[in-house]
Amino acid sequence: MDAPVWLALAVFGGLAAVPSLAGDYWTGQLARYVLFGLFAVSLALVWGRAGILCFGQAMFFGAGGYAMALLTLGIVEVPGLSGAWPALALAVVLAAALALLLGFFLFWGAGISGAYLAVVTLALAVILEQVVRGWPLLGESTGLSSVPALPVGDNPWDPKPTYYVLLAIAAAVYFGLVALLASRFGVLLTALRTHPQRLAYLGYSVVALRIAAFVLGGAVAGLAGALFVATDRFASPSLIGFALSAEVLIWVALGGRSVLLAAFLAAIGILIVQGFLSEALGEWWLLALGALFMVSVALVPNGLLATPLLWLQSRLRRAP
Amino acid sequence: MATLELEDVHRHFGGVKAVDGVDLVLERGELRALIGPNGCGKSTLFNLITGALRPTAGRIRLAGRDITGLPPHRIARAGIGRKFQVASVFDDLSVEDNLAIAAWTRGRRGQHLPLAALLTRLRLAERRATLAGELSHGERQWVEIGMMLAAGPSVLLLDEPTAGMTAAETAATVDLIRDIAATGDVTVLVIEHDVGFLERLDCAVTVMAKGRILRTGSFADMRADPEVRALYFGTAA
Repeated sequence: MDAPVWLALAVFGGLAAVPSLAGDYWTGQLARYVLFGLFAVSLALVWGRAGILCFGQAMFFGAGGYAMALLTLGIVEVPGLSGAWPALALAVVLAAALALLLGFFLFWGAGISGAYLAVVTLALAVILEQVVRGWPLLGESTGLSSVPALPVGDNPWDPKPTYYVLLAIAAAVYFGLVALLASRFGVLLTALRTHPQRLAYLGYSVVALRIAAFVLGGAVAGLAGALFVATDRFASPSLIGFALSAEVLIWVALGGRSVLLAAFLAAIGILIVQGFLSEALGEWWLLALGALFMVSVALVPNGLLATPLLWLQSRLRRAP
Repeated sequence: MATLELEDVHRHFGGVKAVDGVDLVLERGELRALIGPNGCGKSTLFNLITGALRPTAGRIRLAGRDITGLPPHRIARAGIGRKFQVASVFDDLSVEDNLAIAAWTRGRRGQHLPLAALLTRLRLAERRATLAGELSHGERQWVEIGMMLAAGPSVLLLDEPTAGMTAAETAATVDLIRDIAATGDVTVLVIEHDVGFLERLDCAVTVMAKGRILRTGSFADMRADPEVRALYFGTAA
């Protein structure tokens, strides 16, 4: 169960109106926030819908980002592949492949789930960040700069065309996932989250379903990361490690992990507020965010945005 | 041919012989109760049949096919359905979705399922859109039995299906289980402690003790057997 379609349409419609209301600076910033919103959606899918608490979701965001940078900068050349859009597709495939590899290792090979999975994915994210920081091909701690921008519009200084393309991609992915979750696959993911043992005793492979959800989440995160690097024109180790993994977890928990739209809006909202409050409060901003996180988890465990949405859905469902 | 066949099945936990050389044959369409004192190995036997545990030794066959040691989802696909003692349903899904998930394993399309008839049979027609987590205890037990029926197993293992039910719900469950067995297609093995339930079920009873099969016979014969009386029913029965 996700947010009503009319509400999601209103949200994306409202975001589409931003460039005409705000200046180029905020349009450019919001383009990045929309991608972080998409990143949050990927974790909401994996954690909130499939019940897989991944504490290293930035691994896939960063993998997509670095793949995009390597391919579009020509550091890695793939015969027959040129241009930003094919590179984007390959970056998504590579991020999904990383998720598939880890999924096989974690779910099939080691049979890890629950809190242990959170710890292992956290450790993997830390390790991956250290690997990136020490790998000359990836620019070590400096990262990779001057990544080519997406070939959108004629004026490279106008952020609006890129913003609209990114928003359209985010909307397409969002509505695609909502449709998928309304299908048989979505019902099975809910069953997987609620009672994996029961699902196994009905004849379903819990491991296969977990891997499928993990790969899908990895692909969406990889897409967001690849688009982010092409928009920011810079790939840095911070995109792949622990800090961003923890940040997206906080966004999703605050918004509400079981509702994709809530996770999407929470990421954007927190990043906007962060822009203002970090100027006013400096480093104290992080303390304020942490306090808000603790209060939310204790008092509104379903999330600040998802709770009213779930209540609304419940009322609509009960209405004659 | 036997539908379910256990041949000299053992399961040891260190020095503890939880199941110690069980031979059991169930024919197609047979209804059998499995009784015994707590800790005698009944639930361990269910765990071995359904793949939750691997036997230390012995073979388990379903319609002649060796299913020993297969994982639970493959054994379920092969045709063994299991209802747990504590109702195991998907709380965040509607009653209808709970049944549909089970039916999908048969390769049927959800919309072609005779769900309405099944819901009526389970007395849940009015609750089809209700979340399973909002149902009463007895209703949740019925939803789980309904999931088993929707999946269409050839063998149904029911672990205390009436635990926590009212007298009226228990009587209705007895009728339901007898109806299932009466179709002749499904072999049903029931673990139950409720003597009244067993009496109404009126089927063959297998008694377990200390990991072994002690006796098999009618409920009346078992109730009259001094050793079974002392072990399970109590001498006053």
